Amino acid sequence: MDWLIDWLGNNAIVQDIILLARPAGFNLYFALISIPIGFPFAVLLALGKNSKNRLISIFSKAYIYAFRGSPLFIQFFMFYSLMLSFNRSLWKPLGVDDFVLHPLFLGPLVLVLNTSAYAAEIFYGAMRTVPKGQIEAARAMGMSRWQEFWSVTWPNTIRLAWPSYTNEVVFLFHATTLVYFTLPVINEQKDLMNKAGELFEKDYNIFLHFSVAAMYFIAISMTIFFVFGLIQKRLSRHVRKDERQKIRFKPVNYIR
Amino acid sequence: MIESVIELLVSLLGEDWRDGLEYITNGKHMAWYASLRFTLIAAFAGAAFAVFFGLMGAALKQSAIAPLRWVGSFYINIVRGVPDVLFFLFFPLAFEQFVEYLFAQTRCTAAELAANAGSWPPCEAAQWFLNSNDYLLLACVSFGIVYGAFAANVIHGAMQAVPLGQLEAAQAYGFTKKQVFWRFKVRQMWTYALPGLSNVWMLLLKATALLSLLQIADIVLWADRLGAPNYLARAGMVHPDWRWKYYLVLFIFYILMTMLSERIFDWLKRRANRGMLEMN
Amino acid sequence: MKKLLLTVALAAFATTGFAADKVRFGTEGAYAPWNFMDDSGKLAGFEIELGAELCRRAKLDCEFVVNEWDSIIPNLIAGNYDGIMAGMSVTDERMKTVMFSEEYYPADPSRYAAAKGDKFDFDNLKGVKIGAQGATVQAAYLEANLKEGNTIKLYEKPDQSVADLAAGNIDLLLADGSFLDPVVEGSEGNIVYTGPNIQIGGGVAVGLRQKDTELGEKLNAAIAEVKKDGTLDKMIKEFFKKGPFYAAE
Repeated sequence: MDWLIDWLGNNAIVQDIILLARPAGFNLYFALISIPIGFPFAVLLALGKNSKNRLISIFSKAYIYAFRGSPLFIQFFMFYSLMLSFNRSLWKPLGVDDFVLHPLFLGPLVLVLNTSAYAAEIFYGAMRTVPKGQIEAARAMGMSRWQEFWSVTWPNTIRLAWPSYTNEVVFLFHATTLVYFTLPVINEQKDLMNKAGELFEKDYNIFLHFSVAAMYFIAISMTIFFVFGLIQKRLSRHVRKDERQKIRFKPVNYIR
Repeated sequence: MIESVIELLVSLLGEDWRDGLEYITNGKHMAWYASLRFTLIAAFAGAAFAVFFGLMGAALKQSAIAPLRWVGSFYINIVRGVPDVLFFLFFPLAFEQFVEYLFAQTRCTAAELAANAGSWPPCEAAQWFLNSNDYLLLACVSFGIVYGAFAANVIHGAMQAVPLGQLEAAQAYGFTKKQVFWRFKVRQMWTYALPGLSNVWMLLLKATALLSLLQIADIVLWADRLGAPNYLARAGMVHPDWRWKYYLVLFIFYILMTMLSERIFDWLKRRANRGMLEMN
Repeated sequence: MKKLLLTVALAAFATTGFAADKVRFGTEGAYAPWNFMDDSGKLAGFEIELGAELCRRAKLDCEFVVNEWDSIIPNLIAGNYDGIMAGMSVTDERMKTVMFSEEYYPADPSRYAAAKGDKFDFDNLKGVKIGAQGATVQAAYLEANLKEGNTIKLYEKPDQSVADLAAGNIDLLLADGSFLDPVVEGSEGNIVYTGPNIQIGGGVAVGLRQKDTELGEKLNAAIAEVKKDGTLDKMIKEFFKKGPFYAAE
């Protein structure tokens, strides 16, 4: 067994895997915080876009258009400098300046704003394809608007949107690499790409470091696809087998 | 020429605007506007490369030879798992190292190679100085490779969407297999590919914001330079941190570019769908 | 085969310069008054002028390239340029990888800057947010001495650190005095000096690759010349309003 431990200790790939484990944690942290918070915002925005109220629908449309139509990179820079400019006037008096300007808060904030726009577009599209027959039946049965939403629209929306939403979640995870390219690094917090870049600068071995980083990304992405695939099966359990949607790789709408 | 424009605007808006107008047209700002060429070249050239790599990828995926199919499939699917940023940083550096490696083989003496065994570059003569245009070309190719994978996915799907009846009719008329493929399948595929390709274009457009990561002095880098607080009168106008203003301009710029692209693609789609009964 | 690959790979890069007779200096371009981008969008500053003067005297054909601070030494070793003139002070740590020429600016004490009105107990700094530019001697000093109980924030560019200080995101900024002088002056009293002066690192010199002894000798000869005839002191006076340092030698 000694030879195994020896080999593990000296093998460059294994060393890289261990070095990049903590940075991977940062990427995971950003993704795991942004996705659950972005989800309800996205639903609200999708409802807003679908709403009959002109003001709400225009605001939702404009928000979704703005955040989907501009690069995430620019959004990060813009929000950081905007927040900074309010530091003396707002955050310091409130005492929250440490918190608000910290990358661990600001990163997820911008990611949430961004993902809610993309996910809202997905949910909006799905809401439009909810089978009209079911909605008519609900109305005919005398359900209130809220009951109709909860029993008919929402379950259908989430089922129809799930494959696209899976793609969106994976691409959000990929987008977390941009956080530390734009926000300042505090106390040695580095994410996968930063750390891989740092290791590269030391020994110029690009293939090793970037491949190990890529492996982390692939592993986590595949896990997300797998878990979401299981949820897709559960969501479609009442649908005829040949009518169920498979989670297909359809990235083109979801990269930022 | 700029001076006459400023004079015109001042005559319309009043003298107080003069200082501001002169500031936003000084040399540093003009360098900012000029760096827009990098963004546009990267977008258009990147798109051209992406379509090329996309066609290659789709062709590979449909090949009769299994290993080629695997290569095509790998190419299309690798972007599922790996972020595009990683590829953008990887390709230029890897290509530079590859070329310097080739240099080292042909230009370095064995003694130099042995002496520099662990470090890079292997020897003095193997260095390759890249100027801005070289970095830009590398960036375009990187964009092309990454977004080519997405384009390949779209083109592959579009090829499957061409109605079988059309191809069968072509065969019935006596066209050879090759002719059916190029004259009918590929020609008709574009209509179905257009929506997907327009999405790939939007992605590419937004990815041009990342050019500063590829050692190119692009609009984002200049916005940072211009907005950074300056306290030394010799270095330019003394001003506090104005970066959010410049980034806001970039934000709006990209949204406008997206709007413009959407309009153009809508027009293209309408044109491409003329005479087609089935629309995607 | 390798030659063929090489030709094909480089066919598109026809405009590239290969290991040239031009001497290239890497600089940061964001460190007023040492090196900065002036309002016409060109590189300017003390080191740009000094570099042009030195090259004139050493009969070298020089140009400046901009490079980010944190990769400035690795890119020197990798050969993107031949020398670093970016306000880089001589330290033992750097001398392991880089050869320095004769200094062209004496050792500059690092100073703390803070917002007006803030008070600190410098013998016992605790719970303070201190900023510095990453990969500088100040950053190393902070990491070594003040990490316990304080938050150290490192920035990629020096103007980001100043912006954060002005906005109150950090309480103290540790940087070269020569960089902070114009900041304190131009801030109209909002940013002030505080705390002790700390001497970290030696004088400022040109960073060169360790094997470039010939270039080093040429530059040293030129530097000795500008020191002797007072040109260097004149430049230092013009940009930093300090000195004279070398005329007596």
